[in-house]
Amino acid sequence: MKQVAEGSQAVSEAVRLAKVQVIAAYPITPQTHIVEDLSEHCANGALNARFICVESEHSAMAAIIGAASSGVRTFTASSSHGLAYMHELLHWASGARLPIVMADVNRALGPGWNIWLDQTDSLSQRDTGWVQLYCEDSQDVLDTTLIAYRLAESVNLPVMVVLDAFFLSHTYEPVDIPGQKTVDKFLPPFLPRFQLDTDNPGAFNQFVAPQAYMEMRYNIQTAMEQVPEIFYRITEEFETIFSRRHNLAEAVQCEDAEIIFVAAGTTVSTCRQAVDRLRSQGEKAGLLKLKMFRPFPIDFSRQVLSGKQKVAVVDRNCSFGASGIFAQELRAALYNAESPPQIFGYIAGLGGRDVTPETIEDIYWQTKNSDSPPAENLWIGLDQETVESWHN
Amino acid sequence: MTDYKTAHKKIPLFLPHSSASTALNKTGSWRYVRPFYDEKTSPCAAACPAGEDIGRVEMLVSRKSIQQAWETILEENPFPAVCGRVCFHNCEGACNRGQMDDSVAIHHLERFVGDAAISSSETPKIEALPDNGKKVAIAGSGPAGLGAAYFLARLGFGCEVFEAQPEPGGILRWGIPTYRLPRNVLQKEISRIEKLGVTIHCRTPITAEMLQAFKTQYDAVFIGCGHGRSIDLQIEGGQMAINGLQFLYDIRAQQEMSLNVRPTAAVIGGGNTAIDVARALVRLGIDPLIVYRRRRQDMPAFSPELQMALDEGVKLKTLFTPIAIKGAGKDSAGRQAPYVVTLQKMKASATEIEGRARVVPDGDKTETLQVGHIFSAIGAEPEAPWHHASAGDSACLDLSHCKLSNDGIPIAYGGDLTNRVKSVADAIASGKQAAMALDTYFKSGWDAVNQAVTGCQVGPGPAVSMAIYLGEERKDRSPHRVSYSEINTHYFISASRVIAPVLPPGDRIQSFLPVESTLTTEAALEEARRCFNCGICNACDYCRLYCPEMSVTVEDEHRYINLDYCKGCGLCVAECPRNAMALKEENI
Amino acid sequence: MAQLNASERDYFKPGHLGCPGCGAAIAIKFALKALGEKIIMVIPASCASIIVGPYPQSAVNVPILHTAFATAGAAASGVRAALDMKGDSETTVLSWAGDGGTFDIGFQSLSGAVERNEDCIFVCYDNEAYMNTGVQRSSSTPFGVRTTTTPGQDWKKTRKKNIMETMAAHRIPYAATASIAFPEDLIAKFKKAKETRGGSRFIHIFASCATGWGAPSDMSVKIARLAVQTNIFPLYEIEDGTRYTWNYKGDCRVEDYLQTQGRFKHLGEEDISQIQSMVAADWRNLLRKTGEVPS
Repeated sequence: MKQVAEGSQAVSEAVRLAKVQVIAAYPITPQTHIVEDLSEHCANGALNARFICVESEHSAMAAIIGAASSGVRTFTASSSHGLAYMHELLHWASGARLPIVMADVNRALGPGWNIWLDQTDSLSQRDTGWVQLYCEDSQDVLDTTLIAYRLAESVNLPVMVVLDAFFLSHTYEPVDIPGQKTVDKFLPPFLPRFQLDTDNPGAFNQFVAPQAYMEMRYNIQTAMEQVPEIFYRITEEFETIFSRRHNLAEAVQCEDAEIIFVAAGTTVSTCRQAVDRLRSQGEKAGLLKLKMFRPFPIDFSRQVLSGKQKVAVVDRNCSFGASGIFAQELRAALYNAESPPQIFGYIAGLGGRDVTPETIEDIYWQTKNSDSPPAENLWIGLDQETVESWHN
Repeated sequence: MTDYKTAHKKIPLFLPHSSASTALNKTGSWRYVRPFYDEKTSPCAAACPAGEDIGRVEMLVSRKSIQQAWETILEENPFPAVCGRVCFHNCEGACNRGQMDDSVAIHHLERFVGDAAISSSETPKIEALPDNGKKVAIAGSGPAGLGAAYFLARLGFGCEVFEAQPEPGGILRWGIPTYRLPRNVLQKEISRIEKLGVTIHCRTPITAEMLQAFKTQYDAVFIGCGHGRSIDLQIEGGQMAINGLQFLYDIRAQQEMSLNVRPTAAVIGGGNTAIDVARALVRLGIDPLIVYRRRRQDMPAFSPELQMALDEGVKLKTLFTPIAIKGAGKDSAGRQAPYVVTLQKMKASATEIEGRARVVPDGDKTETLQVGHIFSAIGAEPEAPWHHASAGDSACLDLSHCKLSNDGIPIAYGGDLTNRVKSVADAIASGKQAAMALDTYFKSGWDAVNQAVTGCQVGPGPAVSMAIYLGEERKDRSPHRVSYSEINTHYFISASRVIAPVLPPGDRIQSFLPVESTLTTEAALEEARRCFNCGICNACDYCRLYCPEMSVTVEDEHRYINLDYCKGCGLCVAECPRNAMALKEENI
Repeated sequence: MAQLNASERDYFKPGHLGCPGCGAAIAIKFALKALGEKIIMVIPASCASIIVGPYPQSAVNVPILHTAFATAGAAASGVRAALDMKGDSETTVLSWAGDGGTFDIGFQSLSGAVERNEDCIFVCYDNEAYMNTGVQRSSSTPFGVRTTTTPGQDWKKTRKKNIMETMAAHRIPYAATASIAFPEDLIAKFKKAKETRGGSRFIHIFASCATGWGAPSDMSVKIARLAVQTNIFPLYEIEDGTRYTWNYKGDCRVEDYLQTQGRFKHLGEEDISQIQSMVAADWRNLLRKTGEVPS
């Protein structure tokens, strides 16, 4: 049934439909609508779950780890500082091989305090062993959240569903919210492969000596490596049931493209518009949407981008001292590819600054007019007056 | 749906999840000291002349295993009901509990066990060896003679006891008044000895000629005739004094006596006979005064007995000694008093002999005393010279409680004839020691005797244990005598000592009925629980409770250390409430 | 174990990695005896997380969730929530943290959990410093102690945090102190805690550490006993944050306790008398709360 809903609501509806049993969360702007909705669902009985109002994000993830280790389906949501505060437990969740799903609303980190869109919070967690899925719109958010449970429970790795602050979390769009029976077909009750059990007492997560630790880490890597294939099978099944297709990445008008944008999140929609406008001007622009960031879709990127001339990555984040993180990842993915393209890494729209179709077109022209990238990271839309004043 | 499950199978999982036991880790390899159960000697047992395993007896009583407690006493002493009444209980003086609140009422508990056994129909399970074909003649059926017979019989000897009196028991029957030891109690314990196959010939005094004959009829002889002859008062008119022991004998023989015509008496002496004579006199309606030459604390009589006597109205006059007795006159109340006793005032000098003050006449200070009767109880001596082991006999083996000489056949001497302390318990000890000595002699020869007997000492000695001699578990105990500082007093709550029911003095003096009653089972159990069980594992299980390694195990009521895991922390030893464990270094 | 109202069976297995004479190991043994096998343990980083065994072993016959240092309270809450959702009201969740995981890094999550009145037993086995990392001070380290981070003349000059008062301030249904040297009392308190379902229970166990305190390994229990007998670590209970009951009145001088351990060796007479007055003041304060002396 189509409803006009916020991205936050798309998350909470998916969690309700997934029949999550334990939720633990701590409020942080702009994640609050998600947890408020879920609290409401728990209170009015729409969702039969325990909502633990923890005193911090660190505890939120710890509580979820406790619950997931006991064999129930779990959920939490956070953002920015909250996610950073959880960092230790993100490692713990993946090391413990728990199929936890969380929503992260992409928000900038302070100081100064900034509540708007920035991808640095989630991308900083790239080495924690979590699958990361970025969403373009509210429908994508709802579908991805349902898929996330199937995926997490198939590979025993935690999955982070990422949505942009405000542009998604607080923006109302029409969303098709499926019925419970349909969802149940796609997502049966959670069958834990292991759990705390007084009839089979065992210890989880204890001290491991070098003799076994490395194999455990390798086991996480091999599971990660299987994620693309399993994701493909799950999304195929999803399509059969819901008639909507989701891919780990999507190539838009890339076949003949000379310059291909690479983006994630709502920026993808902006890029789509820019590509259409550029195409209408006769420019051979294309777009690679990255939905999955971890594991990084190396094969897909190579298939789409090998042999192309130029790629313009739009990063709404920065790894200081290096470059935008998507750009880094793409460079790494393509380094061993046949005839890799030139990669232009653009940093734009940090801390909620607007990235408009014009910004993307500007990036297109800068890329087209350069024979090769003038620098590893190219900052778009800086106030030149301010920057120059530093040198006076 | 099938895909969903297939996906599960496809992903191999290798996670930090453990269900193997840590028992795979043999942490015993960390250890450099090793705990072990090291039972030690309780001070009461070491103080008991009969070497009774008191700590264990009290443990058994506290568990209500009365039969076992009884059998444990019978290992070392055939007379628990008797000793529980008449023994002077050195054990209680040595009791560590006395340093915390009050010593355990061991004496009363022994009586309780002995009496419980008498009233039970059970027969004791006491180890007795098969007949060894040797026969022993025993002179005297007092505690020494019957003790010897009992232990010899258990060792497989055939025993015949010869008693001059019409009934057996010696001092137990004739010297101790019935208010302390009723006839039936003695009779029951003597018949238990007879049941072991011991024959008692009464009215058969042994003469020197018979002894000669024994040398061909028996393989060995035990002489335990005791000190049958009282020492006379060697003073002017001393022959007018009545022999105290004889007086007690007469009372026992006739039950009742009438001396009422003369209402006062002086009893000369400070030993138990003097007390018994005085207390018997009270019961006959006479006011006795005990006259003793030393101080009260120097009296060889057992102090509870003296206290009982004083409670009953006996008077005591110390530091006076009679120097002359004359017949005549009236007493101060104007009553007829046939005797005037002149008493010399004495004073204690600075020197002491065996803990008793040496006294000397205090100048020429004298007093006179007018009394209706005079009793002498200043000691006794052997009746015949051959009752002594030949002095200067180079073949005479002088052991702590008995002597062994070889005059064709081995002849052992025991009881008052050899004991420095003239007590029932010491007499029993001498019979036991003689039994061991004779058994060793026949098995391993003369030269082995001394070592075999001293090897059976309880702790630092001199008491010897038959259980040790027979190689029972008790032989593994360390001779170390547990001191109070080695007791973990935290484990014990202060509790007052049981008070045995006792008749008020006014009722006591009306008859010769027993003064004290036996403890009730409830009171006995409670009292036994006060015992620290020094040095003896009573299965309290604190070792097992505190062991951080779960390395104390119990099998057949014994505790073991599992050395696979014991890290040697020593907690079990440190926390043992009663010092029944120890640590030793590992040989690494 | 005639004197204990607890299982003959041990749910704690030998071969664990506690030091010889480990007080924490004794505490685990007693607690499991009292609680039986229907429990799930949550253990944050601590000596206990090592003691109960490395992969692939476990020293206890109950399931354990090892969790990050700061998270015992939260992780236990999560386990409880899951059990509730599964309809399992029988199983007790037992959070087992050291003093670091309770007084310091774990304080926030514990406070959060007990404020929510989570239906769990939260245990602090207290060895008064970071022992697993080599004896660094914690906020549970008492006045006067030398640790590797309060060395020499910089021995700890501040008092031990009163964790029981913080729990009382949360008004939880049941909080109690216990000592490895008083097993009957400890086991009775665990049983009471187990029966007090539906809310948070907190048990603060004095678990001596011979290794870290500079004492022979066979002294663990004696030291713990002296801590109670000197009123340095009184045994008491608090119900609903307001009803105080003391369980043992000590009458020993603090020297008896202090002299058993190397960590106090440097203290002079004045320091010792200062400790004695602190202990006396704390004890008076406790008696005031029990109503024994007027406030």
